[in-house]
Amino acid sequence: MSAAEVVSAFRRTLLIAGSACLLAGAIITAADDLPDGEGKKILEKSCTTCHDLTEVTKLRGFYTRAQWRDVVVTMKEYGATVDDKQVDVLTDYLTTNLGKK
Amino acid sequence: MKTSIFLAIALVASSASAQVRIIQTNSMGDNIHLIDPKTNQIVAEVKGVPLNHGAAASPDGSRLYFSSEAEQTLDAVDGKTFQILKKIALTGRPNNISISKDGTRVYVGIVSAPGAVDVIDTGSLERVKSIPTKGGIHNTWVTPDGKFVVAGSIAGKLMTVIDQKTEEPVWTLAFDQGVRPVAFEVNPDGSTKRMFVQLSDYHGFAVVDVAQRKEVGRLELPNDIPAEKVDKGPFNGSPSHGIGVAPDGKTLWVTSRPNARVYTYSLPDLKLLPNPVDLGGRPDWVTFTPDSKLLYIATENTDSVVVVDVTARKEVARIKVGRSPKRNITMVQR
Repeated sequence: MSAAEVVSAFRRTLLIAGSACLLAGAIITAADDLPDGEGKKILEKSCTTCHDLTEVTKLRGFYTRAQWRDVVVTMKEYGATVDDKQVDVLTDYLTTNLGKK
Repeated sequence: MKTSIFLAIALVASSASAQVRIIQTNSMGDNIHLIDPKTNQIVAEVKGVPLNHGAAASPDGSRLYFSSEAEQTLDAVDGKTFQILKKIALTGRPNNISISKDGTRVYVGIVSAPGAVDVIDTGSLERVKSIPTKGGIHNTWVTPDGKFVVAGSIAGKLMTVIDQKTEEPVWTLAFDQGVRPVAFEVNPDGSTKRMFVQLSDYHGFAVVDVAQRKEVGRLELPNDIPAEKVDKGPFNGSPSHGIGVAPDGKTLWVTSRPNARVYTYSLPDLKLLPNPVDLGGRPDWVTFTPDSKLLYIATENTDSVVVVDVTARKEVARIKVGRSPKRNITMVQR
C-alpha cells in the first residue's frame, strides 16, 4: 500500500469513527436528555428496574396528562414501586417534559 | 363428481396464487415491514402507524390492521396499496389485537385501567362494543377454531375467555403472574386442547388444559449457556416473550431473552429437543410459514428478524427491519 493510500485509509477510518461517535452521542442524548427533578429520580429508580428509559421516551410528544397518568397507573399495577403521591409527581414530570404540546 | 373436480381445481388454483407474507411490526417506529418468505426480502412497507403494537390480517389478506400505542387507534390498511384507510379511535391505550376467523371483527386489547377488549366492525370500520375485563388487556387471540377470544391481563394476572359469537366472557383463569403471549394446541376436531402461556417474570411457560379449564404444569426453559453470556436485561418483566405452535402441530417454539435463544419442544409430549438456535439478540414473537418450514423471530435489540429452518433448527437468514421489532404474524393473500 502506498503512503497516499495509507493516508486515505486513515482519513476514511477517522470519518467512520467520527460518524459513529456522533451517532452514539445522539442515541445517548435521546435517552438521557431529561432534566433533573423529583420525577426523574422516580423514573430512574422505579421504572428502569423493568425496562430501559427508551420505553418511556418513545412516547415523547404523544400523550396528554391524563394519558401519562394512565401509563403510570398501569405500571404501578404491573408492580412498579410507586406510591400514590409519586404517581402525581411522576405524571407531572412526564407531562411537562414528554407531553403533547 | 363435476362439482368436486371443479372444487379441487379451484383449490389448487387458489393455493397456487396465494401469496404468503410475514408482517413484522416495529414497536419504536412508525412503520411495519412485509417480508416475502420465498426470498426473505422486504417487499412492502406500511407507514404512519407510530409505536405500532399488534397486527392482524383479514383471511384473504385484503386488509391489514395495526394498533398504535402513540395515537391510541386501530389503523385499517389496504392490503394492496398499503395505505391507511382509517384510524379508529379506541377507548384507551391499545396493546395487541386479533381478528375473527371470518374477518368481520377485530379485537383490541385495551391495557388502560380498568381494562377492556374493544370490538371493531371491519365492515363499517367503527368501534361497536367494548367488553369490560378485570385488569388491562395486553394480548388478545382468537382460538384456532374461531370460537373464542382469549384476553390476557398483566395487571389482573388473569386470562378471560370470551365467546366469539356472543362476545361475552364465559370463563376466566387466574395466574400468580401477568399473562403474556399464548400459543394454542388443537384437538383433531380443531378445538383447543391446551394453551401454552408465558407469564411475567417467568423464564418458561405454563400449560393450561382447556377441557379442565386449569393450569396443569409449568416448564422452565433451560439455563444452558455460560453465566457470563447471559443477558441480564431488563426484559420489560418478560424474560420469555415469544411462543408458537408450528402449523403442522408437531412442535412448540419458545424464545428466551436472557439466553438469546429459541427452544423447541415436541408435541404432544412436550419433550425438549436438542439444538436450540442462537439468535444473537433479545427475541420476541415468533411466526411460521403455513407449511411449517420456516420460523421468523423478531429480535428487538438488533432491529432484525432471524429466519430459522424448522426441520434443521438452524438460522438461514437475518433480515434488517425497523426499530425494536416485536410482534409479528403470517398473512396469506389470495
